Amino acid sequence: MGFDRRTFIQASVGVTVGILFTPVPWKLADDVSIWTQNWPWIPKLKYGEQLDKPAVSKLCDSGCAVNVRTVAGNAFGTEGNVDNPLSRGGICPICANGVQVMNSPNRVKGPMKKVGDTFEPVTWDDARALLADKLAAGGGKVAVISGDQTGTANEVFSGFLAGLGSEDFFQMPCDMQAASRAYNGVMGGAGQVGYDLENADYVLLAGADAFESWGPTVSNMKTFSATAAKYVFAGPVQTRTASVTARWVPVPEEGMAAFILGIAHHVLKAGKSVAAADFAKFRSVVMDGFSPAKVEAAIGVKSAVTAALAQDLLAASKPVVVPSGLSVAAANAAFALNLLLDGGMVSVPEFPKVIDSALSVSQRMEKDLLAWVNKGSNPAVALVYEANPVYALPEEFKAGFLVSFSSVWDETSEKADLVLPATFTYERFDDIQSPYGIAKPVYTAGVPVSRKFLDVMTPADFILGLAAKMDIDLGFETFAEVIAAKAEAVGADYDEEVGGFFEGETVVPEVATLGASVLARGAAPVRGTGAVSLAPYSQLIIGSQNVATTPNAPCVISNNQLVGTTMVVMMSGMTAQKLGVAAGDKVKLSGGNGEATALVKLNEGVLPGVVAAPFGFGHTVGDEFSKGKGDNVYKILTVRFEAATGASVWNGSTVNVAKM
Amino acid sequence: MQTKEFKVKWGMVIDIDKCTGCGACMVACQVENNIAPMTAKDPHNYVQAITTDRDDASNKLRTLTWMNVYELSNGKSFPDHEVAYLPRPCMQCENPACVPVCPVVATDKNEEGGIVSQIYPRCIGCRYCMAACPYHARYFNWWDPLYPVGMDKQLSPAASPRPRGVVEKCSFCHTRFQQAKDLARQNDEDPNNLPDGAYVTACTEVCPTGAITFGDLNNPEHAVHDLAKGPNAFRLLEKLGLHPQVYYVSKREWVRKQGDNYKAGDKH
Repeated sequence: MGFDRRTFIQASVGVTVGILFTPVPWKLADDVSIWTQNWPWIPKLKYGEQLDKPAVSKLCDSGCAVNVRTVAGNAFGTEGNVDNPLSRGGICPICANGVQVMNSPNRVKGPMKKVGDTFEPVTWDDARALLADKLAAGGGKVAVISGDQTGTANEVFSGFLAGLGSEDFFQMPCDMQAASRAYNGVMGGAGQVGYDLENADYVLLAGADAFESWGPTVSNMKTFSATAAKYVFAGPVQTRTASVTARWVPVPEEGMAAFILGIAHHVLKAGKSVAAADFAKFRSVVMDGFSPAKVEAAIGVKSAVTAALAQDLLAASKPVVVPSGLSVAAANAAFALNLLLDGGMVSVPEFPKVIDSALSVSQRMEKDLLAWVNKGSNPAVALVYEANPVYALPEEFKAGFLVSFSSVWDETSEKADLVLPATFTYERFDDIQSPYGIAKPVYTAGVPVSRKFLDVMTPADFILGLAAKMDIDLGFETFAEVIAAKAEAVGADYDEEVGGFFEGETVVPEVATLGASVLARGAAPVRGTGAVSLAPYSQLIIGSQNVATTPNAPCVISNNQLVGTTMVVMMSGMTAQKLGVAAGDKVKLSGGNGEATALVKLNEGVLPGVVAAPFGFGHTVGDEFSKGKGDNVYKILTVRFEAATGASVWNGSTVNVAKM
Repeated sequence: MQTKEFKVKWGMVIDIDKCTGCGACMVACQVENNIAPMTAKDPHNYVQAITTDRDDASNKLRTLTWMNVYELSNGKSFPDHEVAYLPRPCMQCENPACVPVCPVVATDKNEEGGIVSQIYPRCIGCRYCMAACPYHARYFNWWDPLYPVGMDKQLSPAASPRPRGVVEKCSFCHTRFQQAKDLARQNDEDPNNLPDGAYVTACTEVCPTGAITFGDLNNPEHAVHDLAKGPNAFRLLEKLGLHPQVYYVSKREWVRKQGDNYKAGDKH
């Protein structure tokens, strides 16, 4: 029997039918498909009980009230806390990545001291002894720099500092500081300024990027979406906030105080007044110095625009004007306008202190870090708590012995002589007291919701231990006790297993003066001498002044901010033409004490004559998600001292732009 | 073309006038669905010296962003310029373009709820579906999900990490759907009639402005039912006839026009 054509066809049909009916090849194909995707390096999931644990997250400046999601005891994600008014279920993009930051390889794994140019591990006891010696030798020349605006840990640090005989407690430069210095300092008010967005029907955001990075961002966003109020954003850049407001009014950053007073001019003309000692002087300063024609000449905002805004504010039943930035004059101008309008500006009373020798919130905001650094201060010991001044100050920061309390390696840790790794907020007791801008006194206490994997310690616990060693009595042995006492003093419903919460009532703002003499000299715009103005802006997805880009953020950051490792700056077509550059060109920006490289992107949402550059890039230390990406815009800012208030500000910064 | 009808049709209504483009949804999506941070080095690549690094996250052709936020511009000059942000998950089309082109049936629209599935172990990475999807909602996984040391202990139990070589996409956080149905069964409730809010995606949950509303488009008791029928509601590229289950809302006409890739003079 030969293998003829018929046999071949029969065999082929048989094999085909056999293949179709036998499961073996299909099973094999299926297995091949599965097993070629099942490599040992592909992570496997862990299953178990899933729990949501309430906590506080302090990666963003205002802090987020969150729920940490855990599976089988391991934290894996963060979401908003529906029950907390700071969150109402929402969360900001930095805090949404909290667990990933907590588990980042960039965490400091144990206490380290600098020996030569390298770091060596030390025990906590040795670190405490070393620091105690340095402090004793420093003779009271000690400073604390805090990046935490809302925590009771500041009481521990400031109380300790008082025990050492020093008054040099500084906050990192922030909007809250300018507001406090204007309201409590210049105007003689008491408490913290808040903005009742919930009941407002017209909100003028005078530079405040309220839905992106300013104030209690998540709370602002929730309120914005839940109410029908009309929002208007004024600023040099059409920010993300401006993308959803009813209107964007282009105003140069340095002209914000003049812009606000230009509106106040119309409001005064409408007959509004305030019972303040210097009202007559205020009226004459505004009517003479900030007439529509003068304002238009000074900052380019047409008189019809300020008139229309004033009309809208006057027509509203509860209008509110929200200032921003480091300018005390701009904050002062906004508060005066708010008082004239008798609208949604409120005063939020401070919570009682639990450490007697500590500074109150407004006292913490009094001192000007940039001015102190600028005059060449060089303390014997500087304690840096949850801040990164080496990165985020335009000026060089010096100290005889620098101590960094940070949970991650950053520029300040790298420069420090002693690095004391902090627990992440999910690993420790911590709290958020009324973040700046919130309309009611709100207190949220968080408890540890994740176990510690590293040899880290809560900074306030370390300081309490150090205080005991140095015979400074702060009245507490642990920070857990401090938080419990704070919660009790506040009146919060507190449980050391789940934390605590309190919401109080606001009071009507009362001031002694409207700051007329300050505004007479401090509200006029001052601009540098460079080719174009620099308008730095923040996006939380890129990071904050204390926190670098988080692990999941890089693919969210748009090519409008970063391409490869080069930062992108935006300018209008008119500005590009003036500078002789085109879209995609690589340029060098020179200003302040430094230079930055950037790619040009044309954006008609930037005021002509202005270059918009994002804060948050240019880290030289850290993990691969932030290190080496873009340039540091803080280093090209020009710091100047505001007339009359003396506040260090960087509005009016200019840069020269050269094509590379 | 015939579309499959489902009793329950999960959908989203995204209010562009509320979206600030902050990116919290994109971060939450990555965390929920175990999309690993992009790392340059592969510790399992033993010939690294002769290969290039893995891609940088600013190369948006290689990132995995199941939820992606686009920036829209009205194209006008200063001071008339306007900007808007458009979050784009998978549209879960009623008549999906990706399903019929898949040669191995790794993607299907066959489950009550109308979510377009993606079966990773079955996917052969041919990327026909990516070519077919007009919304660019599908992503090829160019790199294995390698977490930096320590970060692998934070995996979400919601989605298995996918190896390189497969196509990925938004699943409307399908595990949350399963969990909501399981909970309904435990409570003797109808898993096919979940109350509004019983099942929401991670992006919906975290959105600080509440721009995303999620629910059953067929259920009049769900907010999306009416929102999707609002006067300013529209779907992307409606002229293609894929009938997305994701709707957008904007009072701004220029935004609505861009949603259908409108060009002056076009006739469709």
